[in-house]
Amino acid sequence: MNPEETSRRLNQRKADKHSRLHSSNPLSTNPHNGFPALSPAADPAVISPQDPTLLIGSSLVATCTVSPDMRLRAEDLYWTLNGRRLPAASYAALGPSTLSVALARLNGSRQQSGDNLVCHSRDGGILAGSCLYVGLPPEKPVNITCWSKNMKDLTCKWAPGTEGETFLHTNYTLKYKRRWYGQDNTCQEYHTAGTYSCHIPKDLALFTPYEIWVEASNRLGVAVSDVVMLDILDVVTTDPPSDVHVSRVGDLEDQLSVRWSSPPALKDFLFQAKYQIQYRVEDSSEWKVVDDVGNQTSCRLAGLRPGTVYFVQVRCNPFSIYGSKKAGIWSDWSNPTAASTPRSERVAGGCDPKGGEQNTTLRRELKQFFGWVKKHAYGCSNLGIKLYDQWRVWLQKSHKTRNQVLPGDKL
Amino acid sequence: MAAAESPSTALRRRDLCSRGIRLAGKMRADVVDLLDAYVEQQGLDASASVAAVEGVPLAAVERWDEQTGTQRLLENLAAYRAFRALLAQMLEEQREQLGEADAGLGRALAAVLLQVSAFAYHLEELLRLESRGVPGEEGDEEEDGPPPPPRLSLFEQKLRGLGVLRELAQWAVRSVRDLRQLAKPSPATGAAPGLAESP
Repeated sequence: MNPEETSRRLNQRKADKHSRLHSSNPLSTNPHNGFPALSPAADPAVISPQDPTLLIGSSLVATCTVSPDMRLRAEDLYWTLNGRRLPAASYAALGPSTLSVALARLNGSRQQSGDNLVCHSRDGGILAGSCLYVGLPPEKPVNITCWSKNMKDLTCKWAPGTEGETFLHTNYTLKYKRRWYGQDNTCQEYHTAGTYSCHIPKDLALFTPYEIWVEASNRLGVAVSDVVMLDILDVVTTDPPSDVHVSRVGDLEDQLSVRWSSPPALKDFLFQAKYQIQYRVEDSSEWKVVDDVGNQTSCRLAGLRPGTVYFVQVRCNPFSIYGSKKAGIWSDWSNPTAASTPRSERVAGGCDPKGGEQNTTLRRELKQFFGWVKKHAYGCSNLGIKLYDQWRVWLQKSHKTRNQVLPGDKL
Repeated sequence: MAAAESPSTALRRRDLCSRGIRLAGKMRADVVDLLDAYVEQQGLDASASVAAVEGVPLAAVERWDEQTGTQRLLENLAAYRAFRALLAQMLEEQREQLGEADAGLGRALAAVLLQVSAFAYHLEELLRLESRGVPGEEGDEEEDGPPPPPRLSLFEQKLRGLGVLRELAQWAVRSVRDLRQLAKPSPATGAAPGLAESP
């Protein structure tokens, strides 16, 4: 029988059943009516077992029995698995119209929708198919970590277990309840922070511990994680600072000033905050982190390259909320804010001073500095880096003035 | 169609047709992409010959040139109503079996379902413009509702999905041609003989 003939027969068989259920009105086609109940007798062939679930490494013997109407014999049939023809050596004719195939040491399913084991007629037509689900039972989910954005919600993520891949579609359900009392709740919004994550948007209580766990299930079983206990106040994070301003410090070519505000979403709560800054030059992807900012909402970046664009980001860690003893969770970094340092007049033209010249310049500057301190610092109480910076601003201004008067005069 | 089509009706028809053509073209492109993703996810052979997929309206038509405008619209409407239900069923089965495992495919299926629904509505508008009543859907008239769909094996579901998407891609091509025919200016005096003969 050629493929057209096989198709014609299959079509005819199905059309006969179809016509019993459809009216002649072309608009009456309703797919819910369109699929007649398929009884085994109506199918061109039947595979057994149908859609089995198996452990990796197990073996299977499947049979394909052709309907007598098809006028096909066992020797007219062959098998494919995921489109690849299985060797005839694994076949056995179990009757005039039944062909079996033996599959040994099965690997995990190639796709989660199941491997396709198909019985074909000699001409290549599909007579019947069965989906094989070969895999492993799920493992206990591990590493559950949760965070609450501004104490309003809770997001948790986890790892699927040490082995990971089960080759089968595995469903994860995050459950939670208030400790001691309260019923189990099921998280509804999955994949919000990655493949293995879930978001609980509301109805969370403060000042009470929660029990949280994850159940993994697939066709081969169920595994439940250990229960994690947490208090929302211990896992609070916040939005990144949104109003980060970066500006120059006078004409100081190696410094930038960064200012920001504390997180507004937490303004009504008792908490402390610490901040981190990271910055990088425009043409580099390497960030330099300043992690000793503490709870200040401004900071001066020093030691920068003159005449260079810098990107700056700030993040916040709210901790000790209502006296929580936990370390707090860092927010995301703020969007990068850019600013450039002033161009250095001394290195204009790309020519760095030689070492000897540098020493002479430094000595001269220090001499000038001490003279300036005598004049401007009253006692030692004000002596500090800010005073030094003020002096450098003054120095640069005086250089500028001098350059204007004597353009040929070099430092 | 009225005996003498008013200029505003003709304009509206042309506008609906040209928008329908654009919609069908986009649908065709999206269905072809979806078909690729579907075949890969289901582990099927893209060239597999699927003998018959019941309930899937066939785009193939004989004597296409002889069809009247109304016939074209009615056949298109019947087909897209069927596809709407078939795609909804595919989407449900997809979610049932794979959850959100392949959210991309689910989203693409949902997007095509939306396009099919929009196109069916578009066809209804055109039928109204032709002063034809829009036929009710079969399910609306049945007091007990449609009988539940029979349970197909998982492999049969895969094959049916392949058949649905393949045929939908064919229909999108046919619909573009049907709408181009409809957009052609009709004779000023309303012979529209085909329309009178149509069901």
